[in-house]
Amino acid sequence: MSEQDTQLPALSRAGHASHCFRFINGLPAAKTDLDPSRLAIAFYCIGSLDLLGELEGRIPQAERESWREWVWEQQAGGKHGTGFRPSPFMVAQGGPSAPPMANYAHCDTPHIIMTYTALLTLAILRDDFSILDRSGLLKFLRACQREDGSFSTTPGSGESDLRTLYCAFAISSMLNDWSGIDVPRATSFIALCRTYEGGYGQSPFCEAQGGTTYIAIASLGLVPSTFSQRLTTSERQKTIQWLLSNQHESGGFCGRTNKDADACYCFWCGAALKILGAGNFVDARALAGFIARCQFKFGGIAKAPGETPDPYHTYLSLAALSMYPPKTFDGDARPESWTFDSLDPLLNARIGTAVWARKYIPAV
Amino acid sequence: MRSPYSLQRKHGVKRIRQTAQDREAKRQREQSRIKDYLALTNVILTGKKNKDWSEDAFNLTTRILQLNPEFYTAWNYRRNIFAWINFASSHQGILKILSEDLSMTMTALKAHPKVYWIWNHRRWCLENIPDLSESDPNDNTWKKEAWDRELFVVEKMLDSDPRNFHAWDYRRYILANMPIPRPPASELAYTSRKIESNFSNFSAWHQRSKVLSSLWESGDLDESKSKEKDRNIWCAEFELIRNAMYTDPNDQSVWMYHRWLVGSSKSCLLVIAHHLIASVRECHCCLSSNNFNVFNIGCMESIVCYKRMLIKDHATDVDLAMLTRECNGMLQQLQELDPLRRRRYEDLVGTLLK
Repeated sequence: MSEQDTQLPALSRAGHASHCFRFINGLPAAKTDLDPSRLAIAFYCIGSLDLLGELEGRIPQAERESWREWVWEQQAGGKHGTGFRPSPFMVAQGGPSAPPMANYAHCDTPHIIMTYTALLTLAILRDDFSILDRSGLLKFLRACQREDGSFSTTPGSGESDLRTLYCAFAISSMLNDWSGIDVPRATSFIALCRTYEGGYGQSPFCEAQGGTTYIAIASLGLVPSTFSQRLTTSERQKTIQWLLSNQHESGGFCGRTNKDADACYCFWCGAALKILGAGNFVDARALAGFIARCQFKFGGIAKAPGETPDPYHTYLSLAALSMYPPKTFDGDARPESWTFDSLDPLLNARIGTAVWARKYIPAV
Repeated sequence: MRSPYSLQRKHGVKRIRQTAQDREAKRQREQSRIKDYLALTNVILTGKKNKDWSEDAFNLTTRILQLNPEFYTAWNYRRNIFAWINFASSHQGILKILSEDLSMTMTALKAHPKVYWIWNHRRWCLENIPDLSESDPNDNTWKKEAWDRELFVVEKMLDSDPRNFHAWDYRRYILANMPIPRPPASELAYTSRKIESNFSNFSAWHQRSKVLSSLWESGDLDESKSKEKDRNIWCAEFELIRNAMYTDPNDQSVWMYHRWLVGSSKSCLLVIAHHLIASVRECHCCLSSNNFNVFNIGCMESIVCYKRMLIKDHATDVDLAMLTRECNGMLQQLQELDPLRRRRYEDLVGTLLK
C-alpha cells in the first residue's frame, strides 16, 4: 500500500485552539489535582496556540498581557534563590494582588519544572525579561542539585529524576550561563540512567522510557561543547534503534516496550530522533495519520483514538507535527491544515520563540 | 485527563441530553466544591505560615490530601507536624501514627497509583519507624513486619497494574533497604511468576535482568561458570525465552531481553551468538512452515543484529563475506515487511557495505 492510498483527514486547527483557550480560562473541580501544575498547563495551552499561529490573531493583546502578568506573579525569591511557583495557591494571602517578587517561606519554594515552563511561556508572549532575577535563578539551580548530580523539583526535597535535570539544563542554556550547575556531576547521573535497551529510565535501574530518553538526549545536546559529553557511535546507534522500534504499526509512538501508542510519545521519541540526526527514519505520514485519529470531535487531541483530549497531549502532538510535517497529496482532506513553522527540538519551542528566548533571557 | 466538555457515552446507551437546568445545577455544585477547596487551602497555608502544629491542623491536612494528593506543600506540612508533636513521644506512639499514615496512603494509592508524593510519604514513614523497641533493645520485629508488609503492598499494586514503573521502582527500594534482606533467588522466582503469567510484561523481564546482573556482579552466580561451565542456569534462561518466543513471536519484550542476554557477556559472544542464531532461525523456520504468511520481523531483526555484532567484534573468526551477504538479504526483506522502518534498514545496508 503506497503512502497515497490512505487519505489524511484534516487537522482541526480551530477546534484545538478552542480547546486550549477553554482550559486557560479555568479548570473544573474534577481537575483539582492539577492545581500544583497550573504553570505547566498554561504552557501547554499557550504553546499550542503559538504552534497553531493563533496567538496574535485570535487572542486580544490585553488578554495576552494579563497572562504575562499572571506568570510573573509566580516569580518568588528567598533563601534558596529565585524561581517560579506552580500557581498562586502556594501563597496563603497572595493571588492577583501579590507583588511581582513575593518572598517565599520554607516549603513554599519555587519549582524547577514550573520555572522552565514559565520562561518558555514568557518567551512565547514576547516578554523582555527585564524583571527576571538571573542571579537568583542560578542560586535556585544550585540549591536543587543533589549529591548524585540529579536535581530535585524543589530545593532539598521532592522527586528528583531526569525530568528535573533537563529543566535545569534548559534554564542554564536559555540563560547562557552554566555556573548554577555542576555539569560533570549531572551528566554522570544521566549516564547512570541509560539502560541496555539503548534508552534512558527515569532513575537508575528503571526501564527505558520515551519521555526520559528525550530528556537525556536533549540535555546532552544542550551542554556546551566545553564539557564535551557525546554518545559513542555505538551508543547512538543503539538509542536510535530503540527509539525507532517504538513506532507502532498504528503510526504513533509507544513510551516503553510493549505499551500502546500514545500521542505524547510522538513528540518525546520523535524529538530525540531528530536531535540524534535520525529524523529521516521516521514515517512522518504514518505519524500524522495516528495523530489525526487522536483528534477529539469537539477540539483537542487525546493520547489515543477514542480517549478524551487535554492540553498536554494537544501541545505535544502539535510539536511532533512541527518537526514531522507529513507529505500531503491532492486526495487529502485539507493538506494546508498540516503546515507548521519549525520547532527547536532541544528547547521544545517554535524556532521564533527559541530565538527570542536566547536573545532576551541571558544577562545583558 | 478528562476534558470537562466530554460527553458521557457508553456502548449501546444513547447520549442523555442535559437540560439547561441540569447544566446550571451542575455548574453550581462545581463552583461550590471549588470554593470549599480554595477556602480549605487558605486555612492550611495560613496555619503553616503561623507554625500551627496542632492536631486540628493535622486533620485538615488529611482532608485536603484526600481531595488532592498532589498538593505537596500539605505533605511537607503534615511531616513537620509529626516531627513537632510525635517524635517527642514513645516509640510505641510513633509507630502507631506511622502505621495509620501507611493505611491512609494505601487508600490514596489505590485511587492514585502514580502520584510521586504518596510513594515518597510511604518511604518517609518506613524510614522513620524506630529501630528498636524501648523494652527490648534486640527486638526489631515491628520494623521487620512493617517492611514485609510493604513488600506485600507493592505486590498487590503490581497485580493490579504490572507495568506501573513507580511500583517496580518502589519494590527495588524495599528490597535494597529491608532490615533482613531477601535472597536474590526469591526475586528471580518472583519475576518468573510475573513473566509466566504474561510474557508481554516487559517490566518483569527488565527486573529479571537487574537481578541476574547483580547476582553476576556479586559473584553469587559466577558469570563464567553460569555461562560456560554451569550450563543449567544459562540453559534455563534460554528455555524461558524460547517458550516466550513460540508463545508470541510478535512480543517485543522477548527480543529485547534476548538481546540483553547476548550483549551482557562480551567474552562469550562468539559461542553464544552462534547458538542463538541457530535457535532464532529454528523459530523463524517453524513460523514459516506453520503457514505464517508473514515472516516474523522480531526473528529477522534479531538475526541481523547478532550477525552484525559478529561482523563488528569477531571479523577474523567468521566468514565475513557470507555474513554480510546474509545480512543484506534480510535487510532487503525487512524493508518490505516492516515499511514503517524502511529508511532505517536502507541506512543499515549502506553501513554494512562500508
